[in-house]
Amino acid sequence: MRRYLKVLALVAVLGLVAAACGGDDGGGATGSETGPTAGATGETGAGDVQPGGTLELAMLGDVSSAFDPSKEYYSVTWEYYRCCLLRTLLSYNGRTTAEGGADLQPDIASALPEVSSDGLTYTFTLKSGINYSPPFEDVAVTSGDIVRALERTADPNASVGGYNFYYNPIEGFAEFGEGKADSIAGLETPDDSTLVVTLSSPQGYLPYLFAMAATAPIPPNGDARLGAAEGHTKDYGRFLVATGPYMFLGSENLDFSLPADEQTPVAGYEPGQSIQFVRNPSYDPATDGLRPAYPDAMNISIGGDNNDLYNKVQAGELDSVVDGIVPPPVLRTYSTDPTLQPHLNINPSDAVRYVSFNLAAPPFDDVHVRKAFNLALDKAGMRTFRGGESVGEIAGHIFVNSLQDNLLADYDPYATPNSAGDLTAAQAEMAQSVYDTDGDGVCDAPECSGILAVTDEADPYPDQAALITQNVEPLGLVFDVKSFERTTMYAKCNDPSAQVAICLAPAWGKDFPDGYTFADPLFGSAAIFPSCCNYSLVGASSDLLSENGYSVTEVQSADDVVTTANQQIGDARFQAWADLDVLLMEEIVPWAPYLFDNNVDVTSARIVNYSFDQFAGLAAWDQLSIHPDAQ
Amino acid sequence: MGRYLIRRSLFMVLVLFIVSLITFVIFVKLPASDPARRAVGRATSPENVEAARIAFGLDKPLYVQYGRFAKGLIPWPGLFLDEDVYYSYANFVPVKEEIFSRLPVTMALAVGAAVCWLMVGIPIGIISAVRRRTIWDRGSMVFALIGVSAPVFWLAYLFLYIFWFKLGWAPPSGIPIGMSVWEAVLTGRFILPWAVLSLTFAAFYARMVRGNLIETMGEDYIRTARAKGLSEKRVIYKHGLRAALTPVVTMFGLDLAGLLGGAFITETVFNLPGVGQYAVNAIFNNDFPSVMGVTIFGAFFIALANLLVDVAYAFLDPRVRYT
Repeated sequence: MRRYLKVLALVAVLGLVAAACGGDDGGGATGSETGPTAGATGETGAGDVQPGGTLELAMLGDVSSAFDPSKEYYSVTWEYYRCCLLRTLLSYNGRTTAEGGADLQPDIASALPEVSSDGLTYTFTLKSGINYSPPFEDVAVTSGDIVRALERTADPNASVGGYNFYYNPIEGFAEFGEGKADSIAGLETPDDSTLVVTLSSPQGYLPYLFAMAATAPIPPNGDARLGAAEGHTKDYGRFLVATGPYMFLGSENLDFSLPADEQTPVAGYEPGQSIQFVRNPSYDPATDGLRPAYPDAMNISIGGDNNDLYNKVQAGELDSVVDGIVPPPVLRTYSTDPTLQPHLNINPSDAVRYVSFNLAAPPFDDVHVRKAFNLALDKAGMRTFRGGESVGEIAGHIFVNSLQDNLLADYDPYATPNSAGDLTAAQAEMAQSVYDTDGDGVCDAPECSGILAVTDEADPYPDQAALITQNVEPLGLVFDVKSFERTTMYAKCNDPSAQVAICLAPAWGKDFPDGYTFADPLFGSAAIFPSCCNYSLVGASSDLLSENGYSVTEVQSADDVVTTANQQIGDARFQAWADLDVLLMEEIVPWAPYLFDNNVDVTSARIVNYSFDQFAGLAAWDQLSIHPDAQ
Repeated sequence: MGRYLIRRSLFMVLVLFIVSLITFVIFVKLPASDPARRAVGRATSPENVEAARIAFGLDKPLYVQYGRFAKGLIPWPGLFLDEDVYYSYANFVPVKEEIFSRLPVTMALAVGAAVCWLMVGIPIGIISAVRRRTIWDRGSMVFALIGVSAPVFWLAYLFLYIFWFKLGWAPPSGIPIGMSVWEAVLTGRFILPWAVLSLTFAAFYARMVRGNLIETMGEDYIRTARAKGLSEKRVIYKHGLRAALTPVVTMFGLDLAGLLGGAFITETVFNLPGVGQYAVNAIFNNDFPSVMGVTIFGAFFIALANLLVDVAYAFLDPRVRYT
């Protein structure tokens, strides 16, 4: 019996470890969580750029949903789709913002959509001559195939973990998903090369949604409503039919004539172990101006240790690590060695790190306290804890610059010398607060003691929390800092009933290159719990505040400004997001933003053409070229 | 004998049941976060969270949830690790498929390492025991001390850094895509993992063999053997070692069984796609069905090894009756 105790002990320890460690998100499970996300292109040896060879990549962890395009909400997978596997009506060129990487480009569509004057109807026209990968090499993409993809995305079972909520403005989309309609009323296909999308209200971000993989066409398969995806509610990703320049190894062996549960998945994706892309013989480069598709094939191993993988890049065993964090010694080597410098690529990421105030919780219900905090924060110190200047640019406002066409690039209403905080200015601001009764710049009200602050338990957040605590102590603000694993931290910050006054470690990245992905999910009143992620309770109703035990009865709303901005298009849209940013920074003050993240990448010596895809915030893998001598 | 086997088998089932129950309770009662919310990510809608909850069966009462998982523990086709229930929250792949596709790697690692540690540990233990208080004994015990003390993850990083990255004597970590496990073994991909994994065990076995052999060599029947004029070699190997190794055999069975459930650290550091690496990923992703599956799988091996050891003991030692 004693020996069996060993088994029980093992299980108990395992479980406890799991319960304790289970929260780390690593690179982020969704596209909205920050991670590598954006950039500038580093040309490393033009002239030797030629097709051929096999790109050798590695990933620390697998994709999030086994390549199912309706479920995958992860920037790494989005880049695999964009560069390689799936074409969509619109897409991106795999370059930086400066090179048009954040601009929508026609892909399956022959041009950008025609928009009706009321902003409710979008008409897409499809190119001809785009066929699917084997075994559907003789089947051309039609508008009905895109409707099929959207019908699948509307199904909550097929899109678990996905982002189908973005498509709700399409007329009848939600009703179809709930089983209340036989089709999506807002999708019409007058012919095989035309798709008409009708919205229930104007949404300027609509075109971006048709560059997402959830709308990638699914080929027909007999009478099956969902075509090749029929019967693959959980696992279509392993039977994915490609339209891009690459497909999974062994795609030609897929047999869709069999019942779904008897079909064998592609050989080129072994979950948790490896991914292999090979050229798609159906792909016609003449129909595609976005993907040079230099490598003949891509091998992507899954798993391993971060440091070991980067050692392999240095040793030439790997060409790059898709989701890793360049270790400081490796970064130093690449920064200082002239032969390696061309293979170091640092690009501004479209993600922001910030401290979030609960606008209903004392003392942060007073805007002067929030402004004082912004002025006291040592942003440079916060950055130092994350690795120094290479990790990003000090943030002076909320929206990343590419979403506003750099309109606020030099804007920082709380600028301080060397971004190290300005105690004098902060105390002057605090003196105007109701919580500083004697006006000496130090909060003397009881609300300023034991303020519930929540942070991430992973490095470097505890050090950052200590720095913040030190920064605001002279203002009389005393925090009671609680640390949690990441998901739990976000859950606490998101739950108004938890009464968290300040959330010290959140970050946010875009889903697509439009300000809407920063506006509505972060400051819309509809994004308050149980939705996500308006931690500041901007626009919270009096009922919600009262139900959750707050004495504050009103929090200023930004809903009208967001709605108006979202109806704009073109330059007016950039300006509208910039105006919202200013309103937030100067009037509402829900955050203290401190860092716009960079993406840091290193490649092996044989890579001669690095390109950064602003959309996914990762290298554009199809544009990496292998030196002819190393192919 | 039949009744004994039945009783031990039922006891094994009871152990697996308790293991599954403890695992379930730990994950349900001490959750790091809501699995449904984790699966849908931060930017989501309440409808999507609810959809995930239903998809994972989390909307059902706890006893129903446990019942679904418990049913999958029955080693019967169609029930064992049933794909409808044992389906990863993290990557939407059946747990059974993951475990069985990774088992060859784990077996290659465990069996190879076991051979290594036996070949190293036992001779060191013998030399140390028969040459007590000599430099051989001291040296052996220093080896044992280092082997037992050095953390596996540290050794793994150290070996990789020195023998692959700096010296280039050994292949790097991982198994190249498209290479079979057998090819990986033949091309030396397992040399460093075997060395690291076997070092700790070899050290432990060396100490154990030394202790057992010293104790055995003091037994009366050893003195008798010497008195009868047998050579020292024969006394040691024929009479002493046989008795000294009996507990080693027991330990070996359990250790090997434990490793077949996954060498967590070694597989993770050396990027070997085995069951242990899968377990680590599942734990860090809070992927309950995968953790449940892999825990039961590992526990099954250990429980089975216990059963076999018990039965073997009953055969080997008449004093251990089937009672």
